[in-house]
Amino acid sequence: MNNKPKIGVYVCHCGMNIAKTVDVEAVSEFASRLPYVKVARNYSYMCSDPGQQLIKEDIKNEGLTRVVVASCSPRMHENTFRKTLAAAGLNPYYLEMANIREHCSWVHENREEATAKAKKLVYAAVAKVRLLEPLEEKEVEVEPSALIVGGGIAGIQAALDIAAAGFKVYMVEKTPSVGGKMSQLDKTFPTLDCSACILTPKMVDVASHPNIELMTYSQVEDITGYVGNFNVKVRKKARYVDINKCTGCGACAQECRLAGTIPSEFNMGLGKRAAIYLPFPQAVPAKYTIDKERCLFLTRGKCGKGPKCIEACAAGAINFEQQDEIVEFKVGTIIIATGYELFDPAKKPEYGYADYDNVITGLELERLVAASGPTGGEIVIGKGEKAIVPKEVAFISCVGSRDESVGKPYCSRVCCMYSAKLAHLVTEKLPDANVRIYYMDVRAFGKGYEEFYDRVRREGVRYIRGNPSEIFKRGDKLVIKAEDTLAGRTLEDEVDLVVLATGLEPRQDAREIIDILKLSQSADGFYLEAHPKLAPVDTATDGVYLAGCAQGPKDIPDTVAQAKGAASSALILLSSGKVKVQAQISNINEATCRGCGYCVEICPFGAIDLVEVNRMGNIVQVARVNEALCKGCGACAAGCFSGSAQQKSFKDQQILPQIAVLGAMK
Amino acid sequence: MADLEKLRAVAKETVSRDDVKYLIGWRQGTYGFRVSPHFITEPEEADKLIFSPLCSNNLATYLTLVEKLPVPRGQEPDTRKIALMVKGCDSRAVVQQLVEQGIKRESVIIIGCPCQGVVDLAKVEEKFPAVLEQVEARWDDGKIVFKLSEGEKAVPREEVLADKCLRCRYPNPVTADTLLWEKVEAESNDEYADVGELEGKAPEERWSFWEAYFSSCIRCYSCRNVCPMCYCEDCILDRLNPTWVNRSNNISENTAFHLARAFHLAGRCIECGECERVCPVNIPLMKLNRKLTKEVREKFEYEPGTDPDSKPLQASYRPNDQENFIL
Repeated sequence: MNNKPKIGVYVCHCGMNIAKTVDVEAVSEFASRLPYVKVARNYSYMCSDPGQQLIKEDIKNEGLTRVVVASCSPRMHENTFRKTLAAAGLNPYYLEMANIREHCSWVHENREEATAKAKKLVYAAVAKVRLLEPLEEKEVEVEPSALIVGGGIAGIQAALDIAAAGFKVYMVEKTPSVGGKMSQLDKTFPTLDCSACILTPKMVDVASHPNIELMTYSQVEDITGYVGNFNVKVRKKARYVDINKCTGCGACAQECRLAGTIPSEFNMGLGKRAAIYLPFPQAVPAKYTIDKERCLFLTRGKCGKGPKCIEACAAGAINFEQQDEIVEFKVGTIIIATGYELFDPAKKPEYGYADYDNVITGLELERLVAASGPTGGEIVIGKGEKAIVPKEVAFISCVGSRDESVGKPYCSRVCCMYSAKLAHLVTEKLPDANVRIYYMDVRAFGKGYEEFYDRVRREGVRYIRGNPSEIFKRGDKLVIKAEDTLAGRTLEDEVDLVVLATGLEPRQDAREIIDILKLSQSADGFYLEAHPKLAPVDTATDGVYLAGCAQGPKDIPDTVAQAKGAASSALILLSSGKVKVQAQISNINEATCRGCGYCVEICPFGAIDLVEVNRMGNIVQVARVNEALCKGCGACAAGCFSGSAQQKSFKDQQILPQIAVLGAMK
Repeated sequence: MADLEKLRAVAKETVSRDDVKYLIGWRQGTYGFRVSPHFITEPEEADKLIFSPLCSNNLATYLTLVEKLPVPRGQEPDTRKIALMVKGCDSRAVVQQLVEQGIKRESVIIIGCPCQGVVDLAKVEEKFPAVLEQVEARWDDGKIVFKLSEGEKAVPREEVLADKCLRCRYPNPVTADTLLWEKVEAESNDEYADVGELEGKAPEERWSFWEAYFSSCIRCYSCRNVCPMCYCEDCILDRLNPTWVNRSNNISENTAFHLARAFHLAGRCIECGECERVCPVNIPLMKLNRKLTKEVREKFEYEPGTDPDSKPLQASYRPNDQENFIL
């Protein structure tokens, strides 16, 4: 700058938020006497239209070249005021904010001291603002396709929405079929729709939609790149079945020497399957997969005189030579819909889940009541002669939820309602049974939920307030020791079946995606959204969105709503075709960089690479920032020994005068 | 041990290679117990090479110190290898430079000299003051034998060896293309007794200890210039905009200089002791560096310059890293 800077300082009252504790008149009078300050004003709401108008008019009439707004946190209104500057024809990055609300008025009571501090903060901002440089917001092209990780209801809904809008979708699902946990449910609360009836058509749509490329039994290996331009590497695991030939007839599974011996994952281990299997009858794709951990031929190299599945398969689809396949493609945006796992009730040994066959989980009961389940929908516990039809059924809620002792302080949000639903199904199937639910609180918060809860109670399900302390066996019966906290008495109830309403927890393999995409986790271990209220589907990584229980426990309506939200966010990117990238990013002075690569290792976004450059005839290695990937976090600048890495708008030269002012002022 | 014929033969063979630019070793100095670095490009120059208890210099510093001159248009940059003789400690500097990508493995030939310890010049000159003629020295069964004009004098190694050698855990090069002779046995442990002694003192005592030394610093920058790990193209301590450390020589700026250097070496210092050796005002800089080395070893189980495939400490992160020292 050859011309002297002309700075405007605007002190905001924020109604009484600031003005109550800070003498805003005194601050703006002080600011008016600071070096290079042309105008200093105070106003009740700087962010309001007339407040912004003040700035715009001063830029035009007074020829301001720099603006300081002393108000709230820049997280709140930095963008607002940047737009104000831009509207008046000034580079939006000629703005500096002094946070005299969160950092001052809100945390102090003494008006005199708070005013003195506000003056300091304003002076520091004035010292910095004149050194700011104009920055340019660049745009990058967006690859018109999306990756969806996870083929549960969240992933399915997001995929269908994006595909319907005309964009290519790659869906990667770890297991052999899409459908996720919802496919295991019998009925869904509160309307008691048959889960399969509402889900299966969507699963079929995903497989048949021309815009969706479905990759089941596949895993994301690596993702590089940045918003609009991600490079994805997927491992398609060997199924040992050629899915182009397999007709899904099932002859192979009938012939398999291990048929009926391997616990079925889909049926929660209550049913048995073969080593070559279709997870469930409505699986999509309806293609068989060989379990390589179990298959005799794959584990021992020998299966009788030869694998029977080969003989049985008329289509010749069995191929034991099949290898994992790596496929690579580019996408513009990513939706993470990897879902959840259920809390392992064995971690609460007092409930005896590991010891007693008639202590089961909600999802296990779900399989028992399902017509497609191992018992054909009969609620029968045990096998053969010992099999019983339970008369006394008890549900225990909050198993692995709202429980600090197992590290699960949060509410899983679905257990109250799925317990009520299962209780209803039990009373329907076993009209003679007595059903009771031990609970802490009943959370029936959704549309139609409270009504459903009332209905279940009217149907005769007893709600007992108090979490059982112990379950033990007495003869053929299970005894539940609990305290009815409303009646104020201790109980020892004898029952035939205990159903544990296990809570939701993050997937064990959640870290894999975190490592690949540099996502964050909240304290409960679920993926962290960018803002709990205003950006609930976004992540800190641009172009990566969350849907469903990967972000936190939620029921099906919320999951579908969030999936649609994530799809909508992804579509904003895809349909606009370009995306603005951060302007306040890091920059490396290649003349002083010694190419040590520390910043490359430090960068949490993988935004820095070492490149070879010609320095006066010598080929040397220096670090270079990928401007589309850099988030401007400044970690590289802090880690650089030679000060070659600097973050724009936060350069050493810009920050030091600010610090000097703070240090010098009394 | 210390087979000079072998050393010179290997050196001759190495500098004769077409892909070698020069070899750096040690030669007799100009007087007394001094030794100089010897840069050779021709085989016949190899005859002056030596390896003795006087060879304190860590030659690894020359790998990164070399200035890359502009290459005239039409010419190719000289990418021939540099051959370097290293003791155990020196080799750790090379390894750390590899870790930090200061050099490329294919551009150096490392000739390893397993070492029984080098002398501390101050200790030697106290025993034999004002020796002007050139002295030779050799290891001899726990003793160091000096060849003076009045005849050979044998001194027990404990009396003249540098402190770092008496507790040395890496007498053998951790990496080398050629090992010149058999490996020697290492000390098994280093308890950081010297650091512990300072740590045991009250903060005021420690401050007065350092205050005295930092006041005497003349800011000659020898410590920085000799350090094999200080090789930024443009040192941040030389910068004027912004001026992190002022040029004025006073306790405040001197302290800032030494502390900045110590922190820039945290997790990088390979304890060759060159900074302390060259300091003209005898500041015990290794006490400062070793304090951080000790912290790094205890808190992060990291020892720089021992594994060429490791990640630099300050650029690596484990979720279970200790952070109890963060206030």
